Amino acid sequence: MQLLHSELPSHKANATSSDMTNKIDHPQLCQWLKLIADNRDKQAFTEVFSFFAPKIKGIAQGKLNSEALASEVVQDTMTNVWRKAHLFDDNKGAATTWVYTIMRNVTFDLLRKMKANKEDTLSDDIWPLAESEHTEDDVFSDHIQSRNLKGIIDTLPENQQQVVKGFYFLEMSQEQLAVHLNLPLGTIKSRLRLALGKLKLKLGEDHD
Amino acid sequence: MIKHHPKFSLLKSFVDGDLPASLAAGIAIHADMCPICQQKISQLTEQVAEASFEQDILIKTPVSESAHTLEAAQMSFDDIISEITASDDIAPAKVIAKEKLITFKGMQYSLPNALRNMELGRTAQIGKLSRARVNLGEGEIHTNLLHIGPGGSIPEHTHKGFELTLLLAGTFADEQGEYVAGDFIMLDKRHQHQPATEHGCLCYTVANDALHFTQGINKLLNPIGAFIY
Ligand SMILES: [Zn+2]
Repeated sequence: MQLLHSELPSHKANATSSDMTNKIDHPQLCQWLKLIADNRDKQAFTEVFSFFAPKIKGIAQGKLNSEALASEVVQDTMTNVWRKAHLFDDNKGAATTWVYTIMRNVTFDLLRKMKANKEDTLSDDIWPLAESEHTEDDVFSDHIQSRNLKGIIDTLPENQQQVVKGFYFLEMSQEQLAVHLNLPLGTIKSRLRLALGKLKLKLGEDHD
Repeated sequence: MIKHHPKFSLLKSFVDGDLPASLAAGIAIHADMCPICQQKISQLTEQVAEASFEQDILIKTPVSESAHTLEAAQMSFDDIISEITASDDIAPAKVIAKEKLITFKGMQYSLPNALRNMELGRTAQIGKLSRARVNLGEGEIHTNLLHIGPGGSIPEHTHKGFELTLLLAGTFADEQGEYVAGDFIMLDKRHQHQPATEHGCLCYTVANDALHFTQGINKLLNPIGAFIY
């Protein structure tokens, strides 16, 4: 159901209207972000901060009507810039677009916390940051594994697949599965044990 | 082929971050399935970002305080920079989140990314209709996953507010024609519709008021409106 975000136009190919003549020095912003990413360069961060922070504060204040909240947006947005600079990829879009996305997402989650009284942070699911691609070797995590896992689970016999999927992806208990599939609990347990044995073999012993 | 897209003003509000989570998620799901809107959103985001940061925005402060406030703001900016850069932690690369599945009437569906971290209520059923509430806490705006089993339909109704139906899987048809996965159907109170599905379908629905049924016996079924939306 999902398309990869491959249609993002490059900012060069998609230059904005002519009356915005290069007021923003994009190559400079990219260079600073790279310095932050490669060297944790505080001077470069100060430059980026000086460029964005006052503007972010103005925008956020207009939206949230509160100086304190606007400062929170500045702080959260710029913290993300510092922590995520290595994920910025200038082939995926302009630095301004990247920072804007972070700022918009931070503001959205903050407003939601106030209005809907919800602590969920949905913004990164709704507006994912365009980030550099990482090969699976770069990122070793359970989440990546779960994608592999899915492929491997599909090779199991149907009756074992049902149990494994229910248990791991739907997070049903073995008792719930027994009721749901109308099978004795013992059958569920043995199918799960069999399936896990096979999965371990295919994934290697270090994944439990 | 997807024929129904969000109109421009909705895309703009989406990019600005001004929509409630329910509608923003609807647009994100549509854009994931629709390269045309994906492209529009990308371009719009780039333009809005450029415009946001190209000029100095003056923070309005009373004239008498401005010098003092500016100085204070400057100092606090320096503090924030030191505070942020004091930590060398970097964010981990984006991880591909675990796929989340949902089952209606024995049919299993993968939830769109935008809904992955939303809280879902239990599934309730009336006849061929099953629905799970998406608990977003948005007051009168109600969001649901609505499954219509094969051969099922929703009795003809009008709507007092707005009603978004985003088809996630399967197809359905109403007086206007056939709809496919990805179609983004926004109705307001002027419209009537009676979606019916031959093979079953799953929809993401957002509405800000209960349905109003318009046809004879179906008026008796009005409680169904509260059930669906
Ligand atoms: Zn579209």
